[in-house]
Amino acid sequence: MEGRPLDTEDDDQLVARAQRGEVHAYERLVRRHQDLAFRTAYLVTRSASDAEDAAQEGFVKAWHALDRFRPGAPFRPWLLAIVANEARNRARSARRQDDLSLRAAEDRPSGDAAPSPEAAALASERRKTLLAAVNRLSDSDREMLACRYFMELSEAETASVLGCRRGTVKSRTSRALGRLRAVLAEQGVVHTLWPATTEGVWGLKQRRDSPQSKKGGGE
Amino acid sequence: MSDRELEFALRDLGAHLDLPVTPPLAEQVATRLREAPERRPVMAPGRRRLPSRRWQRLAVAGLAVALLAAAVLVLSPGTREAVADLLGLRGIRIQIGGPRPTSTTPPSTEAGGVGASLGLGSRTTLDDARQRVKFPVRVPTAAGFDRPDAVYVDPDQPVDGRVDFVYRARQGLPASPYTEAGLLITQFRASVDLDYIKKLSNASEVEFLRVNGGDAFWFAQPHELAFIDRGGSFQQERVRLAGSTLIWVQGDVTYRLEGQVSREEAVRIASSMR
Repeated sequence: MEGRPLDTEDDDQLVARAQRGEVHAYERLVRRHQDLAFRTAYLVTRSASDAEDAAQEGFVKAWHALDRFRPGAPFRPWLLAIVANEARNRARSARRQDDLSLRAAEDRPSGDAAPSPEAAALASERRKTLLAAVNRLSDSDREMLACRYFMELSEAETASVLGCRRGTVKSRTSRALGRLRAVLAEQGVVHTLWPATTEGVWGLKQRRDSPQSKKGGGE
Repeated sequence: MSDRELEFALRDLGAHLDLPVTPPLAEQVATRLREAPERRPVMAPGRRRLPSRRWQRLAVAGLAVALLAAAVLVLSPGTREAVADLLGLRGIRIQIGGPRPTSTTPPSTEAGGVGASLGLGSRTTLDDARQRVKFPVRVPTAAGFDRPDAVYVDPDQPVDGRVDFVYRARQGLPASPYTEAGLLITQFRASVDLDYIKKLSNASEVEFLRVNGGDAFWFAQPHELAFIDRGGSFQQERVRLAGSTLIWVQGDVTYRLEGQVSREEAVRIASSMR
């Protein structure tokens, strides 16, 4: 058995080889992007089996569409668009969708050195509150927030996934945040969700066009 | 609550969602393509799929119950995850290594899963990590830090890969509020975006230091790091442990040490990296 191949090639090189018909090169591309593709599909379908079908079908369709892929263009947004499309087709016909939920607090109950119970409980309570609010949003608001914050996709990738124009990502995110805040306020959450740790979390908006830089700039 | 707080809280929430384990898509897709690799027109996309996958699943699930009872430890990590997922055992997920189930993941160096929830890539050995990234991996020589409790590698992100050392919390190394990890050391090839650091410094949150003859930055508060990888893309690192952070640059490699340690202790550990 060979080990896992050393990943010395970037997406462009692997795409070029895949375009020449090398299944092995494509397999490596899939492995590289399967987590994000699957999560994208899951956040749209909220069903693990639908997400698996969508991601698998998306990857196969992308293979068959590789001839039309423009060399040098970023592969990831192109792929995510195909997978998300498959996912949306399945979500439409889906009967039951999971609510997003939190991982069990004790994923790894190993006796030594757990976080302080108070701190862990507090953090977990905050997350629960926030998640409950997120789950009450419309599908489109939730998907927007999921793309931008859960998966940390760029605006361009988000636009590909949601099938909207890139220019509207910012304003739609801003409105989704506004509605999230309203739901939280309804639940009486006016205190800060994250005390004393946010100070460093900024500086990116100028570079990465974070959605907060345009507050409420919607139609 | 400010936008910034809300966005931060959402990112943190994203890191704690119970998402199903990624199925072995690469293998599934490769199998399908090897059956019919020739390109077909996209306008009439084939709906071919593996024959009756649900039946396959049921059969495998039946088999898996027996296996699980008898020989779970023999299965490779990837298989274990796949089996756990298949059986709907998400509540008691058997999570080993990173989020990327693959049957060729190198064996864990130990049974514990310290750092497994941090989303760091795949768990591996130091030697293997050295082979899979394209920069020299340094290890602290300071007593107590020369043998990380867990090593993670991500060969893809950023461009030349990233290696993480996780140290379990212990006396003098308090646990993060979110995991049992007490200290995290990350290394990757990148240049720190000085503009970004300067912006932070306007808020007087950063101290400029020197470590091993290179620039170093001390953040007493949790922060997010932005950097530019060799491919020229702007990358953002998440807060992992919500502790203080020391960042230093040696040659073209950037190091980041995060945990609830004092500045002096952080510098001492950093200076011992060889």
